[in-house]
Amino acid sequence: MTIIPFFFDVLAYSAIFVLVVLGLGVIASMMGIFNFAHGEFVLLGAYTVYLFHSSGLPVWAGMVAAPFVVGVVGLALERVVIRRFYATPIVAMLGTYAIGLALRETVRSLLSGQFYSVTAPLVGSFSLGEISISRWRTAVILITIAVMVGSYLLLTRTRFGLQVRAALENPALARASGISTSRVYAATFAFGSALAGLAGGLMVPIYAISADMGVPFLIKSFLAVMLGGMGSFEGAIAGAALVGATSAALPWAIKPVVADVVVFIIAIAIVKVRPEGLLSKWRN
Amino acid sequence: MSQPTDLSASSRPLRKVIPWLELAILGASLILPAFTDDFWTLFLTRVFILGLLALSFDLVWGYAGILSFGQALFFGMAGYCTALLATEVGITSVLVLLPVAGLVGLIVSLILAFIVILGRRVPSTVFVALGTLTGSYVVERLARGWSYVGGQNGIPSLPRLTLANHEIAEGVWFYYMALGILVGVYVALKFLTRSQLGLVLAGIRQHETRITFFGYRVQHVKGIIFALAGFIAGLAGGMYAFHEGYVGPGQLSPVLSTQVVLYVLFGGVGTLIGAVVGAGVIEYLTFMLSEQYQRLWPIFLGLLLLVIIMFRPTGLIGFLVSGRERIGSFGRPGDSAPENDAAKNPP
Amino acid sequence: MRNDDRSKRPLSASRRLFLQRSSLLTGMIALGGGSYLYNPKGVWAADPIKVGIATDLTGAISWGGIPNSQVAKMVIDEINKGGGLLGRPLQMILEDTATNEQLAVTKVRKLVTQDKVDVVFGGITSSMRNAIKDTIVNRGKTLYIYPQLYEGKECTPYLFCTGPTPAQQCDTFIPWLIKNGGKKFYLPSADYVWPHTLNAYARDVIVKNGGEVIGEEYFPVDHNEYSATVNKIMSSGVNVVFNTTIPPGVAAFFKQLNEAGFQKKGGRLSCVYYDENALGITPAHEIEGLASCLDYFKAINDPFGNQLQAEYGKLFGDKNPFTAGSGATGMYRGIKLWEVAVKEAKSVKREPVAAALDHAKISDGPGGGCEMVPGTRHVKMNMYTAVSKGGKYEIVEKSKGPVMPGECA
Repeated sequence: MTIIPFFFDVLAYSAIFVLVVLGLGVIASMMGIFNFAHGEFVLLGAYTVYLFHSSGLPVWAGMVAAPFVVGVVGLALERVVIRRFYATPIVAMLGTYAIGLALRETVRSLLSGQFYSVTAPLVGSFSLGEISISRWRTAVILITIAVMVGSYLLLTRTRFGLQVRAALENPALARASGISTSRVYAATFAFGSALAGLAGGLMVPIYAISADMGVPFLIKSFLAVMLGGMGSFEGAIAGAALVGATSAALPWAIKPVVADVVVFIIAIAIVKVRPEGLLSKWRN
Repeated sequence: MSQPTDLSASSRPLRKVIPWLELAILGASLILPAFTDDFWTLFLTRVFILGLLALSFDLVWGYAGILSFGQALFFGMAGYCTALLATEVGITSVLVLLPVAGLVGLIVSLILAFIVILGRRVPSTVFVALGTLTGSYVVERLARGWSYVGGQNGIPSLPRLTLANHEIAEGVWFYYMALGILVGVYVALKFLTRSQLGLVLAGIRQHETRITFFGYRVQHVKGIIFALAGFIAGLAGGMYAFHEGYVGPGQLSPVLSTQVVLYVLFGGVGTLIGAVVGAGVIEYLTFMLSEQYQRLWPIFLGLLLLVIIMFRPTGLIGFLVSGRERIGSFGRPGDSAPENDAAKNPP
Repeated sequence: MRNDDRSKRPLSASRRLFLQRSSLLTGMIALGGGSYLYNPKGVWAADPIKVGIATDLTGAISWGGIPNSQVAKMVIDEINKGGGLLGRPLQMILEDTATNEQLAVTKVRKLVTQDKVDVVFGGITSSMRNAIKDTIVNRGKTLYIYPQLYEGKECTPYLFCTGPTPAQQCDTFIPWLIKNGGKKFYLPSADYVWPHTLNAYARDVIVKNGGEVIGEEYFPVDHNEYSATVNKIMSSGVNVVFNTTIPPGVAAFFKQLNEAGFQKKGGRLSCVYYDENALGITPAHEIEGLASCLDYFKAINDPFGNQLQAEYGKLFGDKNPFTAGSGATGMYRGIKLWEVAVKEAKSVKREPVAAALDHAKISDGPGGGCEMVPGTRHVKMNMYTAVSKGGKYEIVEKSKGPVMPGECA
């Protein structure tokens, strides 16, 4: 009876990972920027929930607030800093690295370097016969699916989505057609940050909060974005699902330490062979 | 990145600043140990070694347009290999260990080049950046888990380097050795970048495809430069391990690789001297900030780096040197910053 | 650099810290106008004895480095109030090693070559100790005292270890676990030196006491996905989980284990670095019944420990508590033992102090008195087993007298 826990585990981990990568992927596709501070946006989302929790407010309210708070932070950073880097993606990597360092160390100092737990809005597990399934992880899976569907509808069914796709396809033409690409970029960055914030908020009850909580996700997320192919919504999700599922599934078969490295090697090998990504709009 | 100020600067009569700067730094370095206490001699030795590592990055990025986030990989691998030679085999001669360190860097960089840079298709800058970053990350994790090389704890208590039965103790002797190697590598790179190969590199930086049409095998040139930089990084890594008396996974890590990128960006890309200056200034700032603000300095360091990156993309050298001189006398000034690569949109 | 500069610096850092606290006023009074060099009206004629503290005030291990530095400051101030050592005041020189071995070597070099300190205390992780020990002990010819619980096997001359070793954490604890949990053990671990070495020792003790090890598994240090292991634990009828995975991943592991119903089915969770501070990493109900074995718990409730706690709380608040798992108790013991040794040696020179420290003994401390085991540079100390109940520890067993460290014999 290990098949159900196995699938549940793979699904639950992939769900969190998809949320993290989606935000990164949206920003990377649109502006060509690999945001080294993405892990710290995740951390800020978690910190928002922790603040709600420690001041006695309900945790779920913190989770609702997290994407908005981080979205606003992202928007402010975009307006002041990030937009200067659009012409120079490499400088952007280092600029966001510096932002990440400052954010991470600020939170670390606010937390006095400590780890804190936050109790999930849904505690415990329900059982299917012999097997216990975590309630909160189930909720995270459902929320992720909702966010994916919502984002997809936003991109394909709304006026904003049309502008985004236009700016992605051909920025010059989009500007000529009266779309303010600068505003689209700002909105996209805020949206990507908000997704990171949501991911952070949802994962606090599972991983506890500490200043370094976003770091392990960063390089894996970059690989997932490359793997899926920059420039497509589906690509980011596919890349994230593949990397997330492999990371969760391999430890069932081989030593976790080896599994960890194998994930990277597989990912980089695929990207080498298919640099345009698994699902890319540049495929011929 | 276009720099309007640079264009106006280039219309002024050109006065060379870099040679004077180089001479001033060299002169100061030669006499400093006579005036400072032991600690600053040790501190500067470390800066020279890290400056050597920064040079290796400036060579690949500033001259060949390869964004390597993996320089620490060559640095650390060389450190580990020489440390093992010293502790397991008992070889401490500097005449053996430093060439070996360079060779290890060269071999590891060639392996990484085959995976990441060379190949049928020209990889995007971002792929190279993430590929080298991943390489550094994976090897660091392997080192942390491998008990033969001490795992997380690394290899402590290395013996000192020797030259014909004399120990090269850290301090004045090591200082002049590191300075000598740094100057030697620096001068060699200076000639290299002024040579025919340097011209090709400038061309690659400007317009890779056009150089390909001239019949140059751009990928091979890039591979050679990457391997050469690996050699230099390895040399630095070997010296570093014996100067600090310790080698550990931190010396392989992406954190150090990123640090090196920051040195060069901070000092000024594509100037060679900027790399060395950047290493010195960042190390000094880190040290002083951490002395003054013991609990909050990493925040200040992050903000400071951000401000510099935002407002002075040409680095510290940009304050002193005209764009024309900084970029070199090949080609038009102003539009040749390597950042203009096709990174934004994959081919 | 002038000395008065340095003595001011830590104060400004502490001030900033205090601003974060509600007990601003008490803090200001506690620190007063003084500094680490407690020197009312220039009573001291002699030069200060310089004590170097190199610990991780920033970075991933700052949860441990901050209380370490605070305990050091508390003890050193106390010694100065009592008249200093050999008629000389102590001057504490604090350096941040920033959880970064590369930077740490430079920092320790500053202590040794520029400040010329008489002794260095510090380092939390074994990797930090390994990185800096050569600079201090061999190249720097200075005494080094390492405070944290660790994997043992550190037998470098002039390097004294004042934290518990695997023998001290396992010898009384594992028999208790077998009695109060069961015979089948599972050892999930982070993949670095401490868990490997500790597990090797624990395995011996488990087998000797009639238990058996069902599985031993290593994860990358920042791993946070443990379902595969939890599933193995649940399906193989394990009684005791002897955990050495570390934060932050440990939170995810304990949660998944709890949600899978391990405790509900009578399983016993155990973790030997888990102190009062670590209880905050997971919600209390998820680690109900977790057993730990350390050299000190607040729950021992002895007068000496309570007084230390009260004083520490008054000075530094409760954000970074005084606990055993961070090495803060080891730091206390280290400074006090060194004080005794300096008094006996009537010198701060390395040779005589090391000779006296080899058999130094203190009658009071967190968890009781302790003494160096001659020739081993390790400390024998009382060990306590505690079980978490509703987010607090209860002491369930105390070792019969001090436990031997079993190192470097």
